[in-house]
Amino acid sequence: MITVALTKGRLFEDFIKYMEENSLNDYLQALTAENRSLYTLIDNVKFIFAKGPDVPTYVESGVADLGIVGSDILAEDPFNILNVSQLPFGECHFSVAGLPDQEEVETIAAKYTNIAFEHFKHQKKDVSIIHLNGSVELAPLLGLSDAIVDIVQTGGTLRDNGLVEYEKIMDIHARLIANKRTFYTKEDEIYKFLREIGVI
Amino acid sequence: MKNELIIRRLELARDYMNLLDEAGYQLIDMNMVEPFHIEDKRHHSSTIIFEKNEQLFSIRSDWTRSLLNYNENYYLSHRFFGYFGPVVRNYKTFYQAGVELYRPSEHEVLKSIDMHLSFAAGQSDGEFQSIIVNDDKLLDLYIDKYQLDSDIRHLVYEKNISEIRKRLGETHPLYQLMAAKVSDQINLINGEFGDGEIMSFINHLNEYLTKYHMKFIVDLSFRSPQSYYNGFYFQVFLDHDHPLLSGGEYNSNAFGIALNLSDGGLL
Repeated sequence: MITVALTKGRLFEDFIKYMEENSLNDYLQALTAENRSLYTLIDNVKFIFAKGPDVPTYVESGVADLGIVGSDILAEDPFNILNVSQLPFGECHFSVAGLPDQEEVETIAAKYTNIAFEHFKHQKKDVSIIHLNGSVELAPLLGLSDAIVDIVQTGGTLRDNGLVEYEKIMDIHARLIANKRTFYTKEDEIYKFLREIGVI
Repeated sequence: MKNELIIRRLELARDYMNLLDEAGYQLIDMNMVEPFHIEDKRHHSSTIIFEKNEQLFSIRSDWTRSLLNYNENYYLSHRFFGYFGPVVRNYKTFYQAGVELYRPSEHEVLKSIDMHLSFAAGQSDGEFQSIIVNDDKLLDLYIDKYQLDSDIRHLVYEKNISEIRKRLGETHPLYQLMAAKVSDQINLINGEFGDGEIMSFINHLNEYLTKYHMKFIVDLSFRSPQSYYNGFYFQVFLDHDHPLLSGGEYNSNAFGIALNLSDGGLL
């Protein structure tokens, strides 16, 4: 048996859509069942549902053999995992955004502070970075920061708050990751799953 | 930890030390406090360093590195050494047992791996599941032969199949190798570099270990967490998620093998 850690929320919905489009019906029914608990067993695959930043932790430790997670999580922190494949869903991007009339950017609010730090370091811009856990768009509206670094999907949340994108930092997409030990010890089950979801 | 596990670990260590003694290895015991070398910190970021009497010291975090430092500072009359004892990494103590072979022949390396497998087989009810091997120089051969950019290394190390496909295309031999099941890689690599020295050793090892009936896997993404291994590297698994044996080649003419006395399946 293999264990696959799935990211709850929007990425999970995108994964379900992907399975519908590709007629992966064996998994679809059980994963979309209303009485689904914290994990679901389908044949030889146990799916566990976790918050995005926890998925690589489960995979790194070997509690999960595979994981489906956004590349934003993998770009923010280092994990000792196999970064096997980009998946064709979960597309969005990181951007620097702020109020339209902002002249200078010296303070940045971000949930993903490492990505923000690396971006401005690469541009040789000396900025202060403030960590927030969510609703990052509030920071420039309330004067906590001059701009934000955040994930942009459609741009709707920025527009609703009167913010504009200054520049795109990097693309984000769903990725399939694997544990460095069980990739070998559970090879047959893992490659079967990779084929089923179209990775190879 | 339960009493029986503590006793079992000590019994395993005693039996292993006896085996090494009978096989002609020089057993060594060393002080856990060592002079601090900055290059050790690069290899082991988890090493604890402290100052006393205006000198820097470190607590042993890896036997191979400790022996290597010892070997570089003193003339040694032996080539084969065996050890058992604790190491400290990030405030946590682990128990390591193993051997270091300096300037070994291919036959001496094969014989030592075989001796370790035979010992582990006698101590465990479980069957060996797999041996996974790689030699960092195999990727160099692909890079040279197909004139690839050296940044392909990082993609191979993280087994980034989708990015390798994007860069090289689906028909490229390196993509086909990386997308193949790991247990099929050995045949593909033999097809390209089977006549070379590196695959010659790997194929000899495969033949040598046939009697243990375990899956023999070569994977270019498989690497040691210890950066001093710069050639052949391997791990052996019982039916367990952590390796029972691990080891490989370092410093061009030395070979180490470590026996897992914590979570490899022997306890």
